[in-house]
This record gives sequence, C-alpha cells and structure tokens, in this order.
Amino acid sequence: MVLDLTMSMAVLAIMGAIATIAGCIEDLESDVGSQSNPNSQVQLAPQMGLLHRIYNKAISGEPISNGFSAVIGGLVTNVLLNAKFFPLTAIVLGAFVAALIYGIFATTAYAGRVASQTRFKQPLYMDVMRYTTPSIIGHNFIVCFCLVSISYIQYAILGYPLSIPFLALIWGISVGAIGSSVGDVHYGGEREFQNREFGCGLNTALSGRIVRKAESGLRNSLDNVWFCAKFGGPATGIALGLTVFFSSWPTTIWGYTWTAMGVGVIILAVMTVMNRLVEINVKKSYGPYKEDKNEKEAAA
Amino acid sequence: MVVFATTTLIDILLIGLSGTLICLAVHFIPVGGAPAAMAQATGIGTGTVELAAGSGLVGLITSSYMYAYEPKAAMLLVMAAGAMGAAIMLASTMLAGGLIYAYGVAVPFASAQVKKDPITGERQDNYVSKGTQGQGIPTICFVSGVVGAALGGAGGGLIYFVLMQYYTPLIAGSAAAVAGVFTMGVFYVNSVIPSYGVGGTIEGVHDPKFRRVVPKDVFTSVIVSMLCGVVAILIAGGMV
Repeated sequence: MVLDLTMSMAVLAIMGAIATIAGCIEDLESDVGSQSNPNSQVQLAPQMGLLHRIYNKAISGEPISNGFSAVIGGLVTNVLLNAKFFPLTAIVLGAFVAALIYGIFATTAYAGRVASQTRFKQPLYMDVMRYTTPSIIGHNFIVCFCLVSISYIQYAILGYPLSIPFLALIWGISVGAIGSSVGDVHYGGEREFQNREFGCGLNTALSGRIVRKAESGLRNSLDNVWFCAKFGGPATGIALGLTVFFSSWPTTIWGYTWTAMGVGVIILAVMTVMNRLVEINVKKSYGPYKEDKNEKEAAA
Repeated sequence: MVVFATTTLIDILLIGLSGTLICLAVHFIPVGGAPAAMAQATGIGTGTVELAAGSGLVGLITSSYMYAYEPKAAMLLVMAAGAMGAAIMLASTMLAGGLIYAYGVAVPFASAQVKKDPITGERQDNYVSKGTQGQGIPTICFVSGVVGAALGGAGGGLIYFVLMQYYTPLIAGSAAAVAGVFTMGVFYVNSVIPSYGVGGTIEGVHDPKFRRVVPKDVFTSVIVSMLCGVVAILIAGGMV
C-alpha cells in the first residue's frame, strides 16, 4: 500500500513509539528473569558460597529467546487473521499464547538451572518462582504485542514483502540484541555490583560477588527490575525506537535514492559525534586511574 | 531443474562474496561479550552472533523493502539500503549503551588494546581501571562498529538481491520469504565462524587480534559461503 508523506510519517512515528515501549519492556523482562550476560554472575555466586534469591532463567541468549517468542506470536496472529479475526484481537491473542509458552520455558529454565547447582546448596525458592514468573509472562506479553504490531503495520499497511511471523522473528532477534547490549549493562555493571568502588570498571576479583541485600530485606528480581526501570530499560527503548525510526525515515522522505543513503550517513556521523561528546564528558568526570609516566618524571 | 550456466556460477560467487563480507564485518564490531556487560572489558556487552545477526537482519528489512518498491534498483543501491539499516541499528545501540556506561555504571571509555585512540589521539591506558580490560565504547570502537555493521548489512542486501533475481521467475509469490530465510541462515553461519577466531571478544579494527584472525576466518568463510551458494541454487531445483 502506498501512503502519502503525512500518513507515512504518522505510521513511522507510531512504529517508533511502539518500538520504544518494546525495547524498554524487553530489557526489564530480561532483568526480572535475569537473562543474558549478567546472569553469568547470578550463576557464579552460589559457586563462591553466596546463596541468593534472584530468579535465574537464561532460556538462551536474549535475541534467540525473544525471536522465538515473537515468531510464535506472529504465527498465531497470522492464523487468526486468516480466520478473519479483527487485527487487534488477533495480535492480542497471538501475544498471549507466545507469553504463556515463554512462561513455561522460564519456569523450566529456572528449575533446571537451580537443580544443576545442588552441589553448591543453592535452594529453589518456590515463592520466588510463584511471584516472579507471572511478571516475566506479563513483560513478555507486552514485548510480543508491540513486536507483532510493528510486523503487522509493516506487512499490512506498508506492504513489506516478508510475512508477519518472519518480520516478528527479525524484530525479536533485534530487540534481544539491543536489550542484551544496552540495558543489561545497567543490570550487570551497576545493579549486581553496587558494592564496587564508584567511577571505575568492575575488578575481575569481584566476579560472582553480587549484592544480595536489598534496600529492605533480601534482594530479589523484582527489586532489580525496579532499579533498572529507571535507566537501563528506557535507554534500551530509545535505542530500538531510534533504530526503527531512523532506518526508515530517510527513505520515507527522500524515496529510494542515493540522497536517502547520504542522509543515513549524516545520521551516523551525528551519532558518532554524540558518542564522542559523552566520552569527553565522562573522561573529565572519572579517571585517569594511572599517572602518566612522562608527567611523573617531569614532576620529579 | 538446476542449470549451471555462467550466470548461476556468478550468483554462487556473489553469495560467497556476500558471506565473506558478513564474516569480515563481524571482526570490525567491538564485541565485549559477558565481561563488557559488567564493565570489565571494552566494547558492546553481548556476543558476536547476537550483534552481527541483530544488526544485519535490520539491514535485511530495509534492503528487502527497497527491492520490493524499486524493482529496477541497482544492486549497489539495495546493498547501500542494507548497510544503512544495519549501521543505524548498531550506532543506536552503541550510543545508548555508551550512555549507560557513562551515566549508569559511571566508567570512562578506554581501550585496553592501544595506548592512544587512532582517531582522537587521546590516551587510553591511563583510563583503564584496575582489574579490567578497558571499559565502554571509545571513538575508534564506535567508528569500527559502524563500518562493520555497514559491511554486514551490505553483504545481507547482496545475498537477498542475488536470490531474489534467481527465485522470482520460479516462485514469484514466496520468493521473498525463501530469500529472506536463506539470507538469515547465511548471516548466522558467517557470524559463528569469527566467534571461534576472536574467542568471544574483539575491540575492532585496531585490536591486534584483528590482523591475526581475519585471514583465516575470511578464507574459511569464502569456502563455507560458496557452499551455501551452491545449496541456494540446488534448492531451486524443487521450485519448478
């Protein structure tokens, strides 16, 4: 379907907004369930004699588990659309089925992982499983709903040549890759190790020594998602929103031309400059940690 | 029936070339793996396959749309569309990730592989904190990552273009689906090959590991991607 410029921009803006929500919630889902790279520390802690009450699922890498979940949502939606269901109903039901299956995987992954740590005396807390799993399912439902909605818009309104399940799979993989690269750093680098010295990286000697006490009582995964929702989640949402918006914006305005590609290069240059500005700012705030040899000699 | 004409051989060669581009691209991306997620190493805090496939597949979406609406689009333009989509995905990821490193974890960006950043000329070793292999995404890593993602996206766009040219006369209705799935497969194959070479982490083009492993990985990728190309042509035998 070919839309005029105003409608194209409106659709693109909606897609960007939906993607921002999807990115944010995906990261929070990976924090509440403890998945991807930071989970290596949750897994390591009992081996260091530090037992904890953190959920430990890690079904697989985030891109694969989210891709798998989104493709199920996309498939069910596609079937229901073929059965003449109203699109919104079809997407909601598709996301619901996908989230339930994801919940089953989360439960088995948690039980399996903790069972493998019997020799380190890590208990399987049934209350943790009972109140954290519904939260994982709830988060995943929102992610699937958003990703399948984007795929539906791309397929049915914008006329992309790829099918809804395939588009959902690609966006699931991408949202997982972004969540794993952006938001997980806030969970792994900051929340798990609030006991490290502020203003420097995590010393390897601290590996596995995660913080186990919460603001009140013992820390659990819901405490973690509360913290990560302040920065890690929104930053991930912004990254996916920017990706969805800026990967289509140049071609929407300038058509399929080399001019659009040139605009893409300008966007990339602006992002590089922004990263450099952050680098300069943060270097002024923290470090240097070692004195320059030449400066040391000059001072002597 | 599959006929191995000269054009077919060129198609196989082009798929081999695009697979090699993807494999090469992975080496440019600053992959920090699990240590980077804990601010213990420089780069993006996830694995090679996740990043390369994640960014490349966004490139696949942009290039497929370009191909669908500009049937006369030149091969280079489809590749450029793929490159742009993938590079924007990775740049957005690195920018947002950098914000977390800077204002969430509070670490200065520093490379542990070079004394000075080749682009900005700024000292790096002084900013590597104790017990780590660098932190964050310095400018050289950012630029290297953008270039890598663009190469990967261009490679994905090229495979899609070649396969669409080949499959469309045979199965016009579902050519995009088959070409898309096959492109995704080639992406994963060529993202896994460098994982063995780089051993999970690489900072980018300035990392000494880059020069050490690229020739071997690229050689492996050429062979494997050509094999993928042969399979892509063989499966077309069942489409008539």
